[in-house]
Amino acid sequence: MNRTVTRQSTNWLGALGVGLALGVGLSLGAFGVAVAADAPKAAAPIPASAVPLKEGGARLQNGTIAYVMTHKFWALYETPAKDGKTAECPTGMNDGPREQFRTLYGDGKGPKKYTIVEAQLKREGDLWHPSTTPEPPQLKFKEAQGKVSYGMNLDGKIGPNDFESPDGVQGVDNQLYRAIGCIGNYRTMGTINHFEDLFMNSYNDARIVIELTHVKSLENSDDVTANIYRGSDRMVADSTGEGYLPGGTQHVDLRWGKQFVSHAKGKIVNGVLTTDPIDRAELPWGSTFGTHGYHVFRGLRLQLKLTDGTAKGMLAGYVDTDAFIHHLNTSWSTHHHSYGQLSSQSLYREMSRLADGYPDAKTGKNTAISSAVNVEFVQVYLVKPDEKKQLTASSK
Amino acid sequence: MAALVTVLALAACSKGPKEPEAPPATPHLRLMTTEQYLNTLGYIFGPSVTMEMKFAPLQRDGGLLANGAAVAGVTGAQLEQYERAAAVISAQAVDESHRGYLVPCKPADEKAADKACATQFFTRVGRLLHRRSMKNAEVAAYADRASDAATKLTDFYAGLNLTLASMLIEPEVLFIVEKAEPDPNNAGKMRLDAHSLASRLSFFLWNAAPDDTLLNAAENGSLQTKKGLEQQVNAMLASPRLETGIRAFFDDMFQFDAFDSLSKDPTVYPFYTGSIGTDAREQTLRTVVDQLVHKNGDYRDLFTSRSTFISPSLAALYGIPASPGWQPYEFPADSPRQGLLTQVSFLATHSHPGRSSPTRRGKALREILLCQVVPNPPANVDFSALNNPKSEYPTQRDRVKVHLQNPVCAGCHRITDPTGLALENFDGAGRFRTEENGHHIDASGNLDGKMFADVTGLAKTLHDNPGLPNCLVNRLFSYGTGAVVPPKNRELLQYFDTRFSESGYKVPELLRTLALSHTFQEVRAPSKGAAPAQQTQSTASNDSGRAPAPLATR
Repeated sequence: MNRTVTRQSTNWLGALGVGLALGVGLSLGAFGVAVAADAPKAAAPIPASAVPLKEGGARLQNGTIAYVMTHKFWALYETPAKDGKTAECPTGMNDGPREQFRTLYGDGKGPKKYTIVEAQLKREGDLWHPSTTPEPPQLKFKEAQGKVSYGMNLDGKIGPNDFESPDGVQGVDNQLYRAIGCIGNYRTMGTINHFEDLFMNSYNDARIVIELTHVKSLENSDDVTANIYRGSDRMVADSTGEGYLPGGTQHVDLRWGKQFVSHAKGKIVNGVLTTDPIDRAELPWGSTFGTHGYHVFRGLRLQLKLTDGTAKGMLAGYVDTDAFIHHLNTSWSTHHHSYGQLSSQSLYREMSRLADGYPDAKTGKNTAISSAVNVEFVQVYLVKPDEKKQLTASSK
Repeated sequence: MAALVTVLALAACSKGPKEPEAPPATPHLRLMTTEQYLNTLGYIFGPSVTMEMKFAPLQRDGGLLANGAAVAGVTGAQLEQYERAAAVISAQAVDESHRGYLVPCKPADEKAADKACATQFFTRVGRLLHRRSMKNAEVAAYADRASDAATKLTDFYAGLNLTLASMLIEPEVLFIVEKAEPDPNNAGKMRLDAHSLASRLSFFLWNAAPDDTLLNAAENGSLQTKKGLEQQVNAMLASPRLETGIRAFFDDMFQFDAFDSLSKDPTVYPFYTGSIGTDAREQTLRTVVDQLVHKNGDYRDLFTSRSTFISPSLAALYGIPASPGWQPYEFPADSPRQGLLTQVSFLATHSHPGRSSPTRRGKALREILLCQVVPNPPANVDFSALNNPKSEYPTQRDRVKVHLQNPVCAGCHRITDPTGLALENFDGAGRFRTEENGHHIDASGNLDGKMFADVTGLAKTLHDNPGLPNCLVNRLFSYGTGAVVPPKNRELLQYFDTRFSESGYKVPELLRTLALSHTFQEVRAPSKGAAPAQQTQSTASNDSGRAPAPLATR
């Protein structure tokens, strides 16, 4: 029964009485009463929308999907610690700047006295002018031990210094792991581990975005293109504030020109994307206080498990050693070096010694070291600017 | 001659029916809301004076928080809040970065009192804060206090600061006091005095105190002439401040204060974040202002329109690409987002923390948008069947069927649930869905007997429901006059309904009609025993005979 009553025609007390008497509930209007009808009358219902209502649509559209990086960290194989020692670091962690300074120059109470130039400035100079000449013999560097490491077989060979991955892949190239595996700063509880994600997620200009095109399906596609861009937008955090959600938007940031744009061919097999190597790729790796650091990778490749909301896996390639140390010294303040027991001087020497790729044309000395980075992404919509216009603007 | 008669007849027709007589309300004493206080001070001191404060919430009455202002008092604890806020604001107003333009003169010596300069300052600021011109003696008292403080503190601006801080929390500033005077045009009747009318208009249309121009109109008497009132109302409707007023009204009517305490279960709705809530509220208010003010569109179209505004956070929820900042956006024709009912602001605020609620949504639609009252559930209602975690209700439709099994519940739930079920394609955080627990969602429903198959039908039905515009008329009139409209004003509201309809449901035109109506200005003499009506200020002028320079402009 339709008992909708308007202001004009209803005595609300009367309607109240009717409503109560019938026990069907009531709804008092401002003055009149509108008593809703539960049982519809004969009028024809308004039909459903002519087209099915929908929102958003598929994330993979026209063979294209994009993701933004939400997590990255150098892939370190870590075993449980016992008495401060682990299987990969049987003699413990490396010394940092403070411990090394004390080893080299004592605590100031010994017979030998040093000037500031001989001690403090000498050590600072070593930091800013990296050298491969051996460290003083008192300083012993501790490499990560063992045959197990995360990473990929970058050179297609199985060599004596290669690792085996925890899931059995032979010939894994990750010599960076040997160099940084026993430096507290780079391990799971180290500050770099924490802050690299924090800063990447906090600063919009440190976005790493990948776009996959020519994708037939996210399960299997035999010929896809992976485009890597620098993004420029805030990511969509979830309600806990800890995680990030798919569905956000990233605008390609070409204010840097094409420095941070690279491309690779690849394929998707059983939901896993594997790309061919990119000869040279620069990835934004900014820290805080407006630092715009980046790492230079040679032979970079992606291996990612894809869904329409996330991508998770690994980047692997040869990271440029000089650029790595420059990034370390210009992005991380000295207290982080000290608290994380990270000696830039010692690490540079070790990385140079372990470098296993991209020899210098003149000296024949390897300029890059094999590495792997664990990464996670969430899906985003990618908006590309007019590249020509942007590049013109940035060149002025 | 015949032609003239025709013209006159047409002219008479164009005026429409005469506004019916309605029993006048008593003048009100209202506490300024936080927003009114901030807007007023913002207009006086400018946007660079930061004011972040939130005073105690008001009690909603007749669907509006604004009506609660007429029954609100200030406790000691609240006064401390006002005092702290006032101290922060006054210190900024006279600090080195602001005094150059907020203090209209420079003291002869900054380390000493300067009564003449203090007088200039308080003449301007005091008038705008008190919403009336200040008598010379009043200003002199403030200047004396400022001078005493300046002498003791050997700092002219410190004296201004302390005195201004005390002025900011005076009862006459915090409370909007309406005063009555005999209506010279209607013997035996009372009307608001000119300053009270100026304040009523200003808080109604701008949600802020009158500016210099409006106070001038009150002081020179023009505001109480037909022509003068029309001039002022038209100017106020044309002012950018109208947007602030419109936003304030709809924020109140739509009960968006709910966002202040709204929370969602993050495990159920990871998408619902604090920024989503903030943006959802902003989205609706932007949509309202755009449709009603910028486009001067039909109010009812708000409930079917696909035009809105999108922020990056909302874009992620809606599953569409975003641009930085707020951008205008039109949902595609096959989008379920059609009208305000389908925006996150309505859907999320009228849901449970972990699930949607056809009942809450249906109740909100009826109470907020149609001005109906749905009774609360009985105190002894048994929720066990609904809350049993082992109950197997694949969809909310199945769940709310339980309501109908108990006659005590069924009466009201037959009113609310069939309407709310049409919104079941949206979860408790406002995201679109076609399935619930793997079951297809049936979003059919009915509103007052009109059936529809999905939310687009609900939107159309609501759009065409005469209760929708009538409810707005009721709420706006109540908001403007500061009290719940009594049932005996039914004929008056019908008159406003008609005028609103004739205007094509244009809200600015409705605001004009209401603001120019006799009832808006007419008041009842205070009842016996109450404080006598205050002497009129209408013709009071500054003793100096000079209107103060404008400090707050449109």
